[in-house]
Amino acid sequence: MGKVKNRNWLVFVFLIASLILTLIFAASTGAVKISTAEIIEILAKDADTVNASILMDIRLPRVLLAAVLGAGLAAVGGVMQAIFKNPLVDSYTLGMSSGAALGAVISIITGLNARILGMETTGVFAFIGAVLTLFFVYSLAYTRSRMSINSLLLAGVAVSYFLASVISFLMMLNHDKIEHIVFWTMGSLSMATWNEFFISAALIIPSLAVLMYYTRELNILTMGEDAAHHLGINTFALKNVLLITCALVVGSVVSTGGTIAFLGLVAPHIIRLIIGSDNKRVIPYSALLGSILLVLADTVGRVLIQPAEIPVGVMTSIMGGPFFIFLLRSQKAGRQG
Amino acid sequence: MNIGKGSFFCIVGPNGSGKSTLLRVISAALKPQEGAVYLDGRSINGIKHRSIAGMLSFVPQNTSLEFDFKVSDVVLMGRYPYINKLRGETGKDFEIAEKAMEYTNTTHLKDRSFMELSGGERQRVILAQAFAQDTDILILDEPVSHLDLQHQVEILNLIKKMCVDRKLTAITVLHDLNLASAYGDYIVMMKAGAIMRQGTPFETLTAAGIKEIFDTDVYVSVSPVGNKPYIYALTKPNIDKKGIRVHVICGGGSGSDIISRLCSEGFDLSSGVLAIGDLDWKISKENDMQIAEEVPFVGISGEAYAKNKELAMAADAIVLTGLYLGKSNLKNLELLLEKDLENKPLFILEDESFAARDYTGGDACRMYEMIKFRNNSILTDSKVLKEEIIKAVETHGESKE
Repeated sequence: MGKVKNRNWLVFVFLIASLILTLIFAASTGAVKISTAEIIEILAKDADTVNASILMDIRLPRVLLAAVLGAGLAAVGGVMQAIFKNPLVDSYTLGMSSGAALGAVISIITGLNARILGMETTGVFAFIGAVLTLFFVYSLAYTRSRMSINSLLLAGVAVSYFLASVISFLMMLNHDKIEHIVFWTMGSLSMATWNEFFISAALIIPSLAVLMYYTRELNILTMGEDAAHHLGINTFALKNVLLITCALVVGSVVSTGGTIAFLGLVAPHIIRLIIGSDNKRVIPYSALLGSILLVLADTVGRVLIQPAEIPVGVMTSIMGGPFFIFLLRSQKAGRQG
Repeated sequence: MNIGKGSFFCIVGPNGSGKSTLLRVISAALKPQEGAVYLDGRSINGIKHRSIAGMLSFVPQNTSLEFDFKVSDVVLMGRYPYINKLRGETGKDFEIAEKAMEYTNTTHLKDRSFMELSGGERQRVILAQAFAQDTDILILDEPVSHLDLQHQVEILNLIKKMCVDRKLTAITVLHDLNLASAYGDYIVMMKAGAIMRQGTPFETLTAAGIKEIFDTDVYVSVSPVGNKPYIYALTKPNIDKKGIRVHVICGGGSGSDIISRLCSEGFDLSSGVLAIGDLDWKISKENDMQIAEEVPFVGISGEAYAKNKELAMAADAIVLTGLYLGKSNLKNLELLLEKDLENKPLFILEDESFAARDYTGGDACRMYEMIKFRNNSILTDSKVLKEEIIKAVETHGESKE
């Protein structure tokens, strides 16, 4: 028992240290190299150099935004996998990301892209898109008061494809806004500003707190809904709270960074492989790992083929796709064995 | 349905008769369309989820986890209804969980992963969780259906023990009527969503009751251990009748095996003279045979003898089994020397020496020798009896023509 706890702490410390190192690495890497010493100097004093403005106006908001979005996506992935008791579920496979992207695209082409209280309506549309898609997919899979996970995944993937083609169709009709739309569908952090970071952080960090508050219930939920009910959990209310919180996170991620695939799937799995399935740890640790991975993916995408940039969504797909296939295969092998 | 403390309730009924639905209504997982469930005199739908969880725990047919949890974590989940969310589990909770594992003999599994366990072990862990939940009522939905005999008994013993030790009330759906009979203090029989009968095993698990609920013919006897009803399913595949009548002279169990076998081969049978309550008599009754019967120990009256003769006359063949002969049933042998029966093929089963079965001081032996040498007597044994009868009846029929 003691050993296990020590090991969990070790993993936690390692994740925190890695996150700090990754943030520093990401901040110093780019077309212009900024040394760690210089970063500390700029942060400590209000320097007025070119490097200072690159760091403060361009790089830092982007790196921090990536960290927040990565944490949100990974935590949501872990939570949804626990709710649906299936390791292949995340905001992407359930169509939520595509729904959010469609919401965002609709707001762009209809020109309803205004700012209300500093929040872009694009974000609101993305949130609505995520929620509507989630409940649509959910109701498709829910027949005769029973829900089959297989039909949930099938419905999610099918709806996801359908929405993707709707987005493509809208792109065809709106040549003038195609670049803007591609940004949503591929996922990119290139437009990051302090403003976007603050809004995302204001939405995602409290949402993460809500998700973490319910991790004990999430553990029990993995025993099955009946079991959870009999242990005194109002499963209907709990699932609604969790899913709406997840939709809020996905909506705010997509509205600022577009659809970023696979991160929510991969991060919780890596954590589970290391420390087991206790959601009290899986969710926060996944959030940390999600931050690290997204910051890394974005940084690599930024510098790999300079001066061009690989969208971060493409990077996470390249990393996550093979991992997803590996998961599918190992799950199959597990079933057969 | 009214449920009292400390007893073991079994709900039985065919698939789809609403047993699981009833359990879910009882445990407030489903709201009833009509009626209400009362717990301690309060309607259950008015009680908060957590409070219900402090009174009532549930064990499903089987539990599978997609994600891996340690056994001790799974057991500790049983403490959820009592846990202060911000403080987390206290030392007391850990202590209760430890005790629950000791009680269910799962302590040695505590650091194992739940998914690695066998079905029986998992079910014990879930019982430990229910134990840790510390409720007065335990609801179980077919807790042993997918387990082998050893684990079925192990789990049910454990539940019974909890009923006795902790005044726990168990309400369980069981598929196996004999297990329900052995463990249940009280049986509830359901069919098509309604409770048809309820009461003690003896009141409910009758042949008529089971026929009504399951539409199946059974034979109900008393279990030699435990003094509870024991149910035998009657295996009577619908075999085409051969149209051959056979009269079996038997008694004391000597004919049971032959009657069952010939019956399942499609012969029409009768038997006699049998004492009422004799094992062969029971088997004959069960197979709806015509019987020449007599009150036990009084010898064979003229009336019974006449009936026996009548049945023998009507048959195509007669079988004499390896019965024991005493003064009271000697007339069964006498019958076979009747002139009227001379032409009937007679099959004598000599699986056991006759002398050892003679309790008449030699009278029966002498008579037996005469019977052996009468016309149409065939010495045979039970293994080839069926073929011999068919052959004899065929040739006999031809010779008559």
